[in-house]
Amino acid sequence: MKKMLAMILTGTMVFSLTACGSNPAGSTQTSGESGTKKDTTAAEKPAADDKAEESAPSGPVTLNVTTTFAGEDTNAANYQDAIAAWQDETGNKINDASGSSTETFKARVISDFEMGSEPDVLFYFNGVDSNPFVEAGKVVSIDEIRQTYPDYATNMKDGMLGASPADGKNYSVPVNGYWEGLFVNKAVCEAAGVEIPGPDTTWDQFMEICQKVKDAGYTPIAASFAEIPHYWFEFCIYNYLTPATHNVVPGSVDDEHGKAWVDGIADMKVLYENGFLPENTLSATDGETFQLFVDGKAAFLIDGSWKVGGIEGATDDIENFTVTYVPGKNNRKTTDIIGGLSSGWYITRKAWDDPEKQKTCVEFISYMTSDEMVSTFASVSATALKNGTQVDESQLSTLAVDGLNFVKGATGMSSAVQDQVTQEQRVPVFNGMPDIVTGKKDIADAVQELLDLVAAGQQ
Amino acid sequence: MSSNIYKNKKPVIFFLLPAFIFLTVFLYYPFVQNIMNSFKEINNLGASAKGWNAPWYTNYVELCKDPNIRTALLNTVKMIMATIIGQLGIAIVLALMVDNVKKGQKFFRTVYFFPIVIAATALGLLFNIVFLYDKGMLNQLREMFGAAKLLDFKDESHAMLTMMVPVTWQYVGFYFIILITGLNNISDELYEAATIDGASRWQRVRYISLPLLHNVICTCGVLAVTGALKVFDLPWIMFPKGMPSNSTWLTGTYMYYHAFESHNVDYSSAISVLIVILGVVTARIVNAVFKEKDY
Repeated sequence: MKKMLAMILTGTMVFSLTACGSNPAGSTQTSGESGTKKDTTAAEKPAADDKAEESAPSGPVTLNVTTTFAGEDTNAANYQDAIAAWQDETGNKINDASGSSTETFKARVISDFEMGSEPDVLFYFNGVDSNPFVEAGKVVSIDEIRQTYPDYATNMKDGMLGASPADGKNYSVPVNGYWEGLFVNKAVCEAAGVEIPGPDTTWDQFMEICQKVKDAGYTPIAASFAEIPHYWFEFCIYNYLTPATHNVVPGSVDDEHGKAWVDGIADMKVLYENGFLPENTLSATDGETFQLFVDGKAAFLIDGSWKVGGIEGATDDIENFTVTYVPGKNNRKTTDIIGGLSSGWYITRKAWDDPEKQKTCVEFISYMTSDEMVSTFASVSATALKNGTQVDESQLSTLAVDGLNFVKGATGMSSAVQDQVTQEQRVPVFNGMPDIVTGKKDIADAVQELLDLVAAGQQ
Repeated sequence: MSSNIYKNKKPVIFFLLPAFIFLTVFLYYPFVQNIMNSFKEINNLGASAKGWNAPWYTNYVELCKDPNIRTALLNTVKMIMATIIGQLGIAIVLALMVDNVKKGQKFFRTVYFFPIVIAATALGLLFNIVFLYDKGMLNQLREMFGAAKLLDFKDESHAMLTMMVPVTWQYVGFYFIILITGLNNISDELYEAATIDGASRWQRVRYISLPLLHNVICTCGVLAVTGALKVFDLPWIMFPKGMPSNSTWLTGTYMYYHAFESHNVDYSSAISVLIVILGVVTARIVNAVFKEKDY
């Protein structure tokens, strides 16, 4: 009896393991946070001619799509609405495997490309995160797509598509981008008796404003140099460069860009030494310093366009907040901003070579990057649209409208240079910022360490 | 028939095989692969190795030079000590006191065990608010008692203590329950005999409860030390990225950081090998120190 029972239990375990691991051909698998199903059979088709006419599908096509429009992403609902409408309109089907843009999601995408199970269409980052599959030739460049489909992404400004750092070519069509600006708590400025910095405010004037805010008993700048020194790093360096020259990683600590980095970080040290940051900036989290700003204890906060929604959700008095330009220094105008389009739609080589899917992929991306769709997704953030976004301002908060005006008034824009440096390479400067601003570590040494890691990564 | 089962080994192998395959695929293979990864160059999670490091032991040389590893090892040792003294020590005291309570034992069991059922991430957020610099609970209490200046409980000089308090607090109840169960297994007759012989309450604890609880305390000691080696979630929520100034790294958080934040996967693999070695060595030491006795 016991033997029989043991055999039954063992058999059940073996069956369970087999059932968990089985994935017969033609079946579907659930993946991604959206919990939708992904077809595993359709991608295994032979290569095809690259002529559009010859690649027309014989019937409804199923596309495997992976995006970052999931979870807490503000466009998750817009994306679901868009693909539902496209499926109804065309009769094609989307197997969605979207997930929040976490490190786990990124690992899954890279792993899918490695294993040859990449999606047909991908909405993903266009910075160094995309290097592995770009360098492996697993996505198709826009130039190549335009040889067959000349109208592909022609509603976008080519210069803003977001060229790959791997080879400088455009592979992705962006939807919504970002900008970084100086968010202001108006009540704090009013209580401290200072003017809100404007397009003409210089860095030196800003320092005087910060001193007055500090003297009034408030924290001038809400920033955690322990966790997120990124924004101040970007603008302080930008102050020694221009929109045309900012987005270049220094070759050495002594060249123009290297000196700009050292001088910019030295300005961050001055902010710390002058007491313009929260007293616990070297131990606080970004969330804590943001709360200081929202609670009316800090006057200024540099953050990205995504923070508009964050502030709207954190306060009942959105009119108390505005966004303005980070005061400039040297050749950088105050109205020169940091911004860009860090993600875009890719077509994978596997789908492009599939005659059943090629045209459908192009049509799907054209649909998702139409002026109307981009306007819906982008709202107040930057886009590459030639005609700009069509946004109903009456539906936006005052802060969001200020954000739109902020972008319109910009005289120059450069993407964030830190996006050209991997997380691992950033460590000496970003993680070492507390040691740098407290003088425990030399600035030039920290920059040199970062550049050494960049150089090692290029070998 | 029944004795034939023990003579014929084939059925035994048949029964053991599924579990063995399971462990091989999901534990031993990844473990061996992880050791190999520690000698390779891997720059992204999910990406294949670019090749072998040159020289192949680069990551282990780096481990010896890395000041953060020294911090992590030192902090892990501190955490082990805090676990033994804090978790186990407090649990023993609480268990002995509750054992002497006539009424309300169930109430105290529930109260002390409750933190175990709360997710570590929720506890991390809770204690973040308790230790918050600006208007955190402790600083508000200090203000009420006349403190003029806010105290930064997360600065370099307080960070480790701030981390250890919630970690210790979280698991006191776990060991408390094990110990109180052990105490309940001690026969009342022993205590009654000791009372008749004139033993005081302390003498009953010293000469009856603690000696008979020895093996249970040993088991708890092994669990506490091995648990301290693995602690990750609560410290990571409260002190991400070794904040402040790389002073709060533990071996677990540092390994996670390199795997998921800096994408230095091969170095992360080397750290995990170090953790395994540390675990094996510590387990042997703990087994030697907390040696169980036969009664």
